[in-house]
Amino acid sequence: MRLATLDRKLLRDLKRLKAQAIAVSAVLACGVALFVMATGMYDSLERARDNYYDSARMADVAVSVVRAPDPVANDLAELPGVNAIEARVTGIGLLDLAGKSDPVSARLVSLPPDRHPRVNDVLLRAGRWPDPTRDNEVLINEAFAEANYLAPGAQLRALIYGRYRELDVVGIASSPEFVFAVAPGGMLPEPERFGVVWMGREALGRAFDVDGAFNEVTFRLGPGADIRDTIFAIDERLARHGGRGAYGRDRMLSAQFLADELTSLRTMASILPPIFLLVAVFLLNVSLSRLVATERSNIGLLKSFGYGNLSIALHYMKFAIVFALLGAAIGVLVGRYLGGYMASIYQKVYRIPELAFDAKINVYLWAVVVSLIAALLGAAQAVLRAARLPPAAALAPPAPVGFSRLGQGIENAARNLDGKSRMVARRIARFPRRSATTVVGVMLALALLITSQHFPISMNHIVDVTFGVAQRMDATLTFAETADDKILAEVGRLPGVFSVEPLRATEVIFTAGSRTRRDTLMGLTEGAYLYRLLDQNMDAVDVRADGITLSQNVANKLGVKIGDTVSVQATDGHRAHAEMTVVAVVKPYLAGAAYMQLGALSRALREPGRVSAAYVLMDSRERDALNREVKELPMIAGVSFLSNASASMRKMLNEGSGFFSYMFVVFSCLMAAGVAYSAARVTFAEQERDLATLRVLGFSRREVSYVLLAEIGALLIVALPAGAILGALLSRWLMAQFQTELFTFPYITESSAYGRSALFVAAAVVGAALAVRRGVDRLDLVGVLKSRE
Amino acid sequence: MSREELPVFRLVDLRKIYGQGEAAVHALRGVDLTVAEGELLVLLGPSGSGKSTLLNVLGGLDRPSSGSCFFRESDLANAADAEVTQYRRRHVGFVFQFYNLIASLTAQENVELVTEVSTEPMPASEALELVGLGKRLHHFPAQLSGGEQQRVAIARAIAKRPTVLLCDEPTGALDVATGVHVLEAIVTANNKLGTTTLLITHNADIARIGDRVVRFADGHIRSIEANERRIPPSELHW
Repeated sequence: MRLATLDRKLLRDLKRLKAQAIAVSAVLACGVALFVMATGMYDSLERARDNYYDSARMADVAVSVVRAPDPVANDLAELPGVNAIEARVTGIGLLDLAGKSDPVSARLVSLPPDRHPRVNDVLLRAGRWPDPTRDNEVLINEAFAEANYLAPGAQLRALIYGRYRELDVVGIASSPEFVFAVAPGGMLPEPERFGVVWMGREALGRAFDVDGAFNEVTFRLGPGADIRDTIFAIDERLARHGGRGAYGRDRMLSAQFLADELTSLRTMASILPPIFLLVAVFLLNVSLSRLVATERSNIGLLKSFGYGNLSIALHYMKFAIVFALLGAAIGVLVGRYLGGYMASIYQKVYRIPELAFDAKINVYLWAVVVSLIAALLGAAQAVLRAARLPPAAALAPPAPVGFSRLGQGIENAARNLDGKSRMVARRIARFPRRSATTVVGVMLALALLITSQHFPISMNHIVDVTFGVAQRMDATLTFAETADDKILAEVGRLPGVFSVEPLRATEVIFTAGSRTRRDTLMGLTEGAYLYRLLDQNMDAVDVRADGITLSQNVANKLGVKIGDTVSVQATDGHRAHAEMTVVAVVKPYLAGAAYMQLGALSRALREPGRVSAAYVLMDSRERDALNREVKELPMIAGVSFLSNASASMRKMLNEGSGFFSYMFVVFSCLMAAGVAYSAARVTFAEQERDLATLRVLGFSRREVSYVLLAEIGALLIVALPAGAILGALLSRWLMAQFQTELFTFPYITESSAYGRSALFVAAAVVGAALAVRRGVDRLDLVGVLKSRE
Repeated sequence: MSREELPVFRLVDLRKIYGQGEAAVHALRGVDLTVAEGELLVLLGPSGSGKSTLLNVLGGLDRPSSGSCFFRESDLANAADAEVTQYRRRHVGFVFQFYNLIASLTAQENVELVTEVSTEPMPASEALELVGLGKRLHHFPAQLSGGEQQRVAIARAIAKRPTVLLCDEPTGALDVATGVHVLEAIVTANNKLGTTTLLITHNADIARIGDRVVRFADGHIRSIEANERRIPPSELHW
């Protein structure tokens, strides 16, 4: 098939404009890649999670109970809205792994004797299902097995409820409730030090002394069930068995983490790609306007031959379409690659089978559509101008570009400039929109880069503050159940321990007006040294006896402020109820809760002298000795060392952030270079005659290059400080956007983030400008000067 | 021979070939020419006869393929790029058919662009006065007529007191009356400053303003004739 002549012209023009096409398409591609990556990953993660939750019957509601006889389960199954239930026995134990000094905590979960669990199914990944007739056969979770190099056939020594038992690992398993397995009282998965162990219901029941009974129930609700009604009914039914209050997925840490991650992805998908697309719109506008200006006489000629306005418009629109498709194609490929990498990071953190980057066709279609819309928006002005150009006017030479003197003040300043600098100043002033496009493009690139540099700074700050300023214990000993505070003296006698501070943590239900929230209420000692609440100046805020201190997100959820009253309902023990005044609001970076003075909490709960954990300060040289003794203490369900927690936190937060930092350096530099290249190309094309004239007049290449580079340089000088300010604002705003239930990102700044970013962006701009400058060396002096303007 | 006695240009068997093999175009096929100090030389000939190529080589915009092209004692054919740039900067003034003024600079600033980098320039206003534009100093090119723009270009070319003024069809785009003004400016520069001037034209009548007329055809010099008398441009009719 023979191409239409106009299309052949298009192809040849594109070949000529290829460098500019690449610059525009590269910026478009960055936007498309981010869009494909974030949207595709969001879809993939959400779909993988939903499939997993559905196929493995993830619980909608769970409740723990002190001890309820087995027949109660039948009543619960009959409750309206309940589709399936699983009554089980769970508890915390300590594992003694060969070659590991630090004790490992395990959550022990019972398996029904003759079937898979009806709720929170357990999927065998390796090995076999435990033999119901053999008490000591267990399954362990995949992350724990991998982190500790355990395979079927391994043996574990477990301290369960004060008694040692030898366990045989026969299989490796996963479950939707432990996509993200976190130790009780922990914040993050530490698979080296926390595992899930599934074992036979009968054996575990005996071990925890709940024979013929259960201490936890998980529920799947039917379609259309009202979760609040169901929770109410469950709580009512379990009240006399010591029910601790049923809760939905919003209080299941694993589900909460996934929901948080999805929110962040959505935020990323909605904020970042538009910035790149916007810059691409500007670039296209500049490039195509220039093209139409140079092709003015061609347009007039074509129209005089009888080409209609529409075919002319379409011809120039095709340039935009080619740029868009090129950008979309590169963006889709890069986005897929980045998505694949992101999925591989997620696979390490989240144990979801079949979690892979699998964007559906609609993501790609949207990428193309968005790219086309951006390109057509950018081209609109130039296309309209081409279509509206009257043929006679187009055939006449264009009116010379009228320059005028700058404002009097600027002219006075310009008087001191040499002729070349005056050319630069007047050009910038003559084309303010184009100059602004360059400045805005470079500004945005710098702002983005600065913002991306702030996330690791913020994350490290979170870790530094949380595990250095707020929490200063060396280790936390968690008790199997609330214990008499006499145990503190015992803890104080453990090897190497200098000082001990108690913690009483309990799950409560807060109510304020119509809002309720289930959260942890922590009782701390006044003047506590090892676990401190901090205000915004990093000064310690003491817990008070006359009221409750809330973290900001709990206060927000309840819609309360200092001075308001909240009603507090304990979920276990005496189920005490109290009205408390909010006396302070604090803003911890990691999952906040509610706090009050320990004595006051004990009185409110009507359980004086009870503690649930102890913070200790100790001599690190005695760590092994302490570990050895702790493993012999039946009351202790877990030991966590701050150094371990801080290291795993740092590892998780930085997981992949290095890669994303690089990605942003590349993307931002591409944006800055694309903008600078386009601007310099247009300047060069428009000034080719002037530059050649200067060469003819005897100016050296260096002097002539100055005219070209000074314009970009001057715009860069404006763009850098403006970009730094925008970067600070954007960082602050984005940090707030990425805030989730569990994390608050503080805006913490370091001058290096600005310096480094500015350096990268300036290098990209200078590199692009120098690439264009090579044109000065190749100026055809004779050809340019002998052609008509 | 003392410096004063040296001709400004001495060309020996100058050749310029564009392209190679069958596509080769012989623009200059062995030109021998000597131009004396202060002379006004008119180059005549049809399009493609080689006169513009010669002017470009003399101005340091192009290099000959073979032969010698001496500007006083230095051979431009073998000079380094930086030397040629310096040569253009110090000794050459160009005037083209299209004026090639910098649109973003006023008339005076266009001239100053050159005077700023020259060793003994005349003031820009004086150069513009010389071409009759003393009252248009602060106009931008877009605010000037074609003839005025060309005269600014001449002022820019002569302001640095160049040794040679090379004019490539300076009146080609202008009507008669305007063209006369422009030629007067060129002749004034030649007379008052003693600038050796080479002027290309298609117009045989204009040839009468020069000291000598060099006729070109097919890359050769066909003839060189001396005018008995230089006619002032105001007496020209075409």
